[in-house]
Amino acid sequence: MDEKIKILYVDDEPENLVGFKASLRLDYQIITATSVPEGISCLNNHPDIRIIFCDQRMPGKTGVDFFEDIRVSHPLPVRIMLTAYTDVESIIDAINKGNIFRFVKKPWTETDIVLAIEEANKFYMATSMLAIKNKELQAAYDELTKFAYSVSHDIRGPLVGVLGGINLAGLIDNVAEMRDLLAVMKIAVIKLDTYALSMHDYYTLQKGLLKITAIDFNAVIDAMKTMYSLTSKANNVDFKINVEQDEVFVSDKITLKIIIGNLLSNAFKYQDKTKTNKLVELRVEVNNGMATIYVTDTGIGIVESHLGEIFNLFFRSNSTEVGSGIGLYNVKNALFKLNGEIQVNSVLNEGTTFKVTIPSL
Amino acid sequence: MMNIEFSFIIVDDSELDCYVTKKFLELTNDNVIVKPFHNANDALKFIQKNDSGIGTFPTIILLDLQMPGMTGFNFVEEFEKLSTAIQENYIVIILTVLSFTSDPNNIQRILRYRVVNSVIEKPLTQEKLLELLNQVS
Repeated sequence: MDEKIKILYVDDEPENLVGFKASLRLDYQIITATSVPEGISCLNNHPDIRIIFCDQRMPGKTGVDFFEDIRVSHPLPVRIMLTAYTDVESIIDAINKGNIFRFVKKPWTETDIVLAIEEANKFYMATSMLAIKNKELQAAYDELTKFAYSVSHDIRGPLVGVLGGINLAGLIDNVAEMRDLLAVMKIAVIKLDTYALSMHDYYTLQKGLLKITAIDFNAVIDAMKTMYSLTSKANNVDFKINVEQDEVFVSDKITLKIIIGNLLSNAFKYQDKTKTNKLVELRVEVNNGMATIYVTDTGIGIVESHLGEIFNLFFRSNSTEVGSGIGLYNVKNALFKLNGEIQVNSVLNEGTTFKVTIPSL
Repeated sequence: MMNIEFSFIIVDDSELDCYVTKKFLELTNDNVIVKPFHNANDALKFIQKNDSGIGTFPTIILLDLQMPGMTGFNFVEEFEKLSTAIQENYIVIILTVLSFTSDPNNIQRILRYRVVNSVIEKPLTQEKLLELLNQVS
């Protein structure tokens, strides 16, 4: 065991505390308190206390009172009552009010205590695992709620738009006008498709296992280059790529592609259309088992107050060019899987640079 | 009806929806002025400058509800702060994908604003448009 289990023992008789500590301190970290207030302050100072032993008979507050007091404020530690006599009333009280795990009869033997600790520790581990699982479930549930909202708004909006276009087509006889309408409808359909594709990335990241291979960044980027070269030409944006890799780099190709692809797609999407020298630059450097990827654009930039939120699911910083709000969230999740990090540097109306660092796995 | 010069302001962040609504209006009426805005803020500024409307008839504002930045709700709130002289030259009609069945809360909320005349559910059809024009003329 890396760290000793932390145990709090509350008893008004100092000699009991000394005896307890003397026989158990080798295997456990024992913290002692001679009164209820002292016990509570110990709990506040050591939030990682797993097990509490408490004497029932103390002047002022009893052990039951103590356990009842901390039931809400410190719900996690497992409670064990030490009692010198079989007082049925206090036992029932303790169970009902104090949430007691078990009793140890006084005078105790070391075996009694060790057995109680080991069982209490198992119980503690099980409960805290449950708390972690609950937290994960809550997070998944929150995400689901966001998705439900997104489906009703982000998918239905463009679909109803296309339906409106189809209704309108019934009134149009002129072929040129019809083509104009189809061109606008096409943009909406492409947006929907992009949304569906980022959903697929989301799913890949959530469920997929990593497939670790040697990565040749030039090959990875070459495969994506064709698509972005078209965007680059169509929107009159200069696209520069620079890869420096002299060593083996090991990682998951699909996850890397999700990261680079989303950053590039944003860099092209959020260009300032009024600028004459539009540029997207992708730079990859691999050194000492670490890949550093820079994606720089001369785009519209991100408002400083939004920088902390851009990686949140469905967060959108910009009001004119509506993205899905999933891309950067996928980037964050992908980096989490590869143990990487991301930094963003942005100046409004000038441009944005994302810097990603990923260790070789 | 054809002789009346209808005038419209469309406020919708979706390029497609703006295009479709504008075309619908132009194809349904011979004599019509349509001014589309992708951003509620720009529309509001335009209205402040053109306080007497943009036609001879009160100008109809076709307003989307869910927009990034200034939403339809924000727009209506700001519009109600304008002088009554300006407000009288405009009629606010909500044009949204939301409906009484899919989202009763938001629809009821927007209808509580005094300036909101009625709600039309997207997608737009010629029937819905003719019904609207009959109602306001």
